[in-house]
Amino acid sequence: MKLLIRWAVFLAATLSLGAPASAKPWWMRGVESNESDFLPPDVAFRVASRVDGNVLRVRWVIADGYYLYRHKMEIKAESPDLTLSAPSFPRGTLKTDPYLGTQEIFVQQVEGTVAFSRFDAGAHPIQIKVTYQGCAEAGLCYPPLSKVLFPGAEGAATAAPGQPHPWEGVAIIGGGLAFLLAGLLLRKGRRLDLPAS
Amino acid sequence: MNSRALPIAGALLLGLFGIWAGLRVHTGHAPVRLAAAGGASARAQSDPAPMVTGVDAAFDEGVPTPSKIPEQLPDFSLGDRTGKPTSVSTWRGKSLILNFWATWCAPCRREIPLLESLYAEWGDRDVEVVGIAVDYRDKVVAYADELKIAYPLLIGEQDALDVAAAFGVGTPVFPFTVFTDRRGDIVTLYLGELHKPQADLILSVVQHLDQHRMDLAQARQSIAAGLQALAPKHAG
Repeated sequence: MKLLIRWAVFLAATLSLGAPASAKPWWMRGVESNESDFLPPDVAFRVASRVDGNVLRVRWVIADGYYLYRHKMEIKAESPDLTLSAPSFPRGTLKTDPYLGTQEIFVQQVEGTVAFSRFDAGAHPIQIKVTYQGCAEAGLCYPPLSKVLFPGAEGAATAAPGQPHPWEGVAIIGGGLAFLLAGLLLRKGRRLDLPAS
Repeated sequence: MNSRALPIAGALLLGLFGIWAGLRVHTGHAPVRLAAAGGASARAQSDPAPMVTGVDAAFDEGVPTPSKIPEQLPDFSLGDRTGKPTSVSTWRGKSLILNFWATWCAPCRREIPLLESLYAEWGDRDVEVVGIAVDYRDKVVAYADELKIAYPLLIGEQDALDVAAAFGVGTPVFPFTVFTDRRGDIVTLYLGELHKPQADLILSVVQHLDQHRMDLAQARQSIAAGLQALAPKHAG
């Protein structure tokens, strides 16, 4: 029986590794915050890019209730043979805050375009760095964020960065059940006979 | 090898795989994959090629918010408005409202009048408001002078970022406010713009805690429940 309990505890611990932090049981919680009120920056602001002839297109998809500041958006060349012209953005929305004045912002989605030329076409992958900064309407601002993009790398994998593979959940449960099975086998008095060294 | 060892070894391997997968899900630190962006709804119908997302150049991917908030107020020292190094222990024995902010952050600016009123209202009850500006000193001092901010300010750049990180906020999002009791226990960390109902709720619980009318766990539970009840009224 003790062995079964030991396996059950181990199974619980194994499964709990896959649980989000907010799902921690009460006895494991310390100081709490309202962090779940806000999205991580990579979820609030998704950025992607592609090559379109001699133009690079960088698109930000902005979650509902979030916005990006126009004057904080930058697109810069990273690869050595790449030259970019000044980026162009559509007209944004004017947002007036009594404590910060009027700012041009983007909501929902925005695409910036920038013409490019290369000295040594094909020698280096196109590599750019984008910088952006935004806030949540609910009252939280993110620091300026920078990302390196490879607009020419189309056709890569389709899962979003940071997202767990869909089979990982199955693997967790499968692994845990396998442990439980092993525990049950051992409980029946079977012993693991290791080869003599 | 004994034939019974095979299924058990298989189970062990599966279990280890489960632990690995669990860790990946838990931390969200899957290897970066180039990806189609934003889902189909975000992509124009005429796009000739898929868009690809990038590699984070400045921060770890994932949650920007508190990963591990310490139980006790960490000891730190930052320059005040004149640049004089000032330790947080200056206010030892008082309940603290530590407000992390920056001048470029609109919600940070918006909550300053509330912090001023809390400073005036709660000052005689051994509650101290301390602003911790993560910003350039000249900008902070100019803005503080313009607004005539009366409560104490500590100012820093990387050193202030380090202080924010010591509170578990590794990616600096602003504003956030830490509430402690008189013993220096951290009672709660409030992320985002603070509003009066939330501030009053937290401070009344801290007062109960300071008067030994509830313990720390009860105080935290009470605040969590109270904030949850208030949340819809201030969402968006």
